[in-house]
Amino acid sequence: MEMAVNSVSPSEFDSSTPPESSEKNLQPFFILHKASSRSSHRRRIHLSPSKSVIKTDDLLLRMEAFQSVWSEIHSASKDVLRDINTSAFNDIYHWVRQSFHAITSYGMPGFGQATRSFPLLTHATSKQLFTGLVLTKNMEFVDDLLTFEELGLCLKSHGCHVANLSSTDFSAKNGIGGCLRSLLRQFLMVSLDAADMSILASWYREQGNYNSPLIVIVDDMERCCPSILSVFILTLSEWVVKIPIILIMGVATTLDAPRNILPSNVLQQLCPCKFVLGSPAERMDAVLEAALLRQCSMFCIGHKVAVFLRNYFLNQDGTVTSFIRALKIACAQHFYMEPLSFMAGALFEEDNQGFQGERNVLLEGMLKYASELSSPDSDTRAEQIDTTLTCRLRELKRLQKCWSSIVLCLYEAGKHKIRLLDIFCEALDPEAYNSVASDNHTGLGKGFGISTPSDPSMRQQCFTMRKGGFICQAIQKVRLLPEASLSQLLKSWENLTVDIYEIHDKVKELQSMVKLEEGRISKEDLTDICILCSNDRRHASWRRLNIESSKRINEKAASLIDCMVRDFLRPIECLPFHEIGCFRNVEKLQLALIGDPRRRVQLDLLEFHKILWCSCCSRSCNIPLPSMPDTSIMYTLAQEHGDLINLPEWFQSFKTIISHISTKGKRKTKQSMLPKKTKYINESEDKSEASIQARFCRAVTELQITGLIRMPTKRRPDCVQRVAFGL
Amino acid sequence: MEMNGGSDEEEFGFSRNYFLAKELGGSGKKSTHKLSDINIVDEQELRAAADNIEPKHEKEIEDLMKSYKSLYPRWVFELRCGFGLLMYGFGSKKALLEDFASSALTEYSVLVINGYLQSINIKQVLIALAEILCDQLKTKRKTSSENLSKVRQSFNSKSMDDLLAFLNGPHVDENDCFICILVHNIDGPGLRDTETQQYLARLASCSHIRVIASIDHVNAPLLWDKKMVHTQFNWSWYHVPTFAAYKVEGMFFPLILAHGNTTQTAKTAAIVLQSLTPNAQSVFKVLAEYQLSHPDEEGMQLNDLYTVCRERFLVSSQVTLNAHLTEFKDHELVKTKRHSDGQDCFYIPLTSEALQKLLLEISQ
Repeated sequence: MEMAVNSVSPSEFDSSTPPESSEKNLQPFFILHKASSRSSHRRRIHLSPSKSVIKTDDLLLRMEAFQSVWSEIHSASKDVLRDINTSAFNDIYHWVRQSFHAITSYGMPGFGQATRSFPLLTHATSKQLFTGLVLTKNMEFVDDLLTFEELGLCLKSHGCHVANLSSTDFSAKNGIGGCLRSLLRQFLMVSLDAADMSILASWYREQGNYNSPLIVIVDDMERCCPSILSVFILTLSEWVVKIPIILIMGVATTLDAPRNILPSNVLQQLCPCKFVLGSPAERMDAVLEAALLRQCSMFCIGHKVAVFLRNYFLNQDGTVTSFIRALKIACAQHFYMEPLSFMAGALFEEDNQGFQGERNVLLEGMLKYASELSSPDSDTRAEQIDTTLTCRLRELKRLQKCWSSIVLCLYEAGKHKIRLLDIFCEALDPEAYNSVASDNHTGLGKGFGISTPSDPSMRQQCFTMRKGGFICQAIQKVRLLPEASLSQLLKSWENLTVDIYEIHDKVKELQSMVKLEEGRISKEDLTDICILCSNDRRHASWRRLNIESSKRINEKAASLIDCMVRDFLRPIECLPFHEIGCFRNVEKLQLALIGDPRRRVQLDLLEFHKILWCSCCSRSCNIPLPSMPDTSIMYTLAQEHGDLINLPEWFQSFKTIISHISTKGKRKTKQSMLPKKTKYINESEDKSEASIQARFCRAVTELQITGLIRMPTKRRPDCVQRVAFGL
Repeated sequence: MEMNGGSDEEEFGFSRNYFLAKELGGSGKKSTHKLSDINIVDEQELRAAADNIEPKHEKEIEDLMKSYKSLYPRWVFELRCGFGLLMYGFGSKKALLEDFASSALTEYSVLVINGYLQSINIKQVLIALAEILCDQLKTKRKTSSENLSKVRQSFNSKSMDDLLAFLNGPHVDENDCFICILVHNIDGPGLRDTETQQYLARLASCSHIRVIASIDHVNAPLLWDKKMVHTQFNWSWYHVPTFAAYKVEGMFFPLILAHGNTTQTAKTAAIVLQSLTPNAQSVFKVLAEYQLSHPDEEGMQLNDLYTVCRERFLVSSQVTLNAHLTEFKDHELVKTKRHSDGQDCFYIPLTSEALQKLLLEISQ
């Protein structure tokens, strides 16, 4: 793809527009150009040794790397979000079947009866509408959009007919017709002008599909217009005998919500059932685990970025959706900015597909290319670098995997008490690690071995040194774990450390110890019972012994994790070549993620010389100079006013400042509330007066476009209102 | 949680600034300067002068614009990654964005929406987009073109939902087949309402659409909820102040010194009045005189007005008076207000000085 930036002639940005385009300026919309016919560059990259070919495709390579890495992260996080709800979904489906049976047990009316719009004479219970209330435990409905979509798909896969409605369908403007139309559209797959339930009834009958219910999912009931929702529910309950409709509604607050929103006659029609989804924090941990730790995509984030994302999640946005989005921005920025990042994609694919044929060639080619990038001059050196680079990269990947495994081990240890996000952030901190690394040089803590608690110098280091740190807490938790959960924990460690054989062995060793202990204890229990009757005192001492021995195992497990942390928890930023996959530019991410127009636009106006770098205005500090842009002068002046700006005064001060061109030199333009009647030379006064007034008007208009001032009201025709106070 | 502390501090600064400004406005002696104190030039002259304002810092602005060219490849990259681009910062970004589109987005079709205009028919936009996509698909796979041409004919009669569904369709597995929409001032008057923003958001989330937009208003982000921001628009923000004059964008804003100015409204009122019948003019005079002599009252009650007009033989019945009043109201010469005792009363929305000037002018 041609991405090169052509040099431009200065006239390109010329603001004086040609007549043809000024006509376009007044059209609501127009087509700027149509896609130029291009050679389809959808091809696999066959890297030939000639570098010139590759260079032009550099960005394309990185784009493909981004796409493969991101699609993996995306689908992993999507899967995990679905899995988290699996049990809830199963419960819902079970309930749907039951409700459907209940409805059909009243007996199905014949075709003619069912499609007629007048009510059937049945007893009151048959008008009950089975309603599933799904508590999302989350005020941020964004995170649940996907949940309800997945729920719909899940029910569809079980053969139900499903329609997903949202609060926008229940707007007062569109009325009941709007949501019925949307309903028909989704069930019948055609859009109809008429909104009539009898159409739905005859469709259902014609389908001949009596074995499956119709499910209507409303994802955020609190945001629906209450009156429309009430009418909708009443309508459905009228028809429920003829069409087996089951309603599922998402509730963000508490179970009281329907009672607060709907009138009693509507509530009477509902036959509710409660389901609960996972909390946002749980989901967050699951997503983090799936996206960044479980699968080694080679893309990761640096410590500062992680801390920023954590704070953004906890303090500002609080939605998992925004976290994933932030991750995507980080990923895209990384692949754009880091020239070697395309290798992350290659390494990742290598991992995914195994070492076979084309892939292997691909990686080799990439490595060659990368070494060319780093040393373009000598061929022999390139080859050397090629081989070392290969080793280094594989090593990087291995270390990264180790790191992830240890973080997950820690998470398992502190499960339900300590958030993965917290451990993740702490484990990424290169500063904590560096202080340890320098200690290691002195010879302390070399090698691997289970340290005994009697060796305090070992435990003094590393992340564990941080009193109150999350990692420290997790290790502490291991010490206090009851026996049953300890063996469970060891089992999970065993699974997590499969690839790190040193640790894997130790874990197995510990496991066998636990088993031995268990065996012994159960034997002792038997003997205990025998002894119980004879000697109470002895029994007590036995128990103490038992506790002590299990304590010993806890202590051993704690030392093991302590060791794992010390030896394998090397933050990614401390590894060589981490730049290939690690995104660290937190400022760039923040800028792209959170625009701050309110602050920025004001800063643009007040400190414009930092952007324009002109020589004329930089010397002023907050004192308006005539050479400044008019709008900047006006906004600087506006800072001196209260919430109302008197137009004539503003105009006079503006006039004073811009007329100072001729009497330059003296700094008479001190900030002034009241205009000074300074003598400005009145050469061709009429003309300049008109132009000054025009400039004033233009500046006011520009401030109005930016929304920094509000126009005069009828009540105060001489004043504009300031809107922004402070940055 | 260092971030937290920072924002607290900011918030404090904000409220302090607000109250300081309030105090400044309240305690200081009320500024009594009136707009009429300025010797305002004629509107036409003002407009002519506004068209010929000498630009400042031309060279620096040009350099700034050129410096943004280095961002173009990055923008294209992000568009292809599936983000929308949102440009903000002071200055018109129209030229910048159009230059970006015509130099870096040549392989994609680009449709421009001028959001600064007063009214924009979003459905027409959707139809145009659907037609472009249809053409593109046709060139992509010539075999199934018959099928598509059938679709095309009916775009005009399709509903918004259908059009959006078409644009969101998985027509080709190729990731790179999309149309770029360039929205100047997505916060502009023609697009500002909730419904249009919802449609734009749904449009932005379509698989075959990417949006590049600019905002100028500092509160523009308030237009969008989290669903729109995170799942639909998927903005990647860019701060690109240009300091270019808002020439086109400001076209429809009234000049503050020309609008609402007493001489101007009195003049236009006079022109309207002179085109009416002498009787109508006299009815207006009755109302004006009453308003001048009772400056503190809310207006003249209909019964009083009718009585006076009848006495002076200006109207013969309530019906004729109502006809005159409707005429006045249509031209915004007269407005109604609900009196405290429940009756409608009429008043002229002009200051006393302006009213006097007006009376002088029509009696000449």
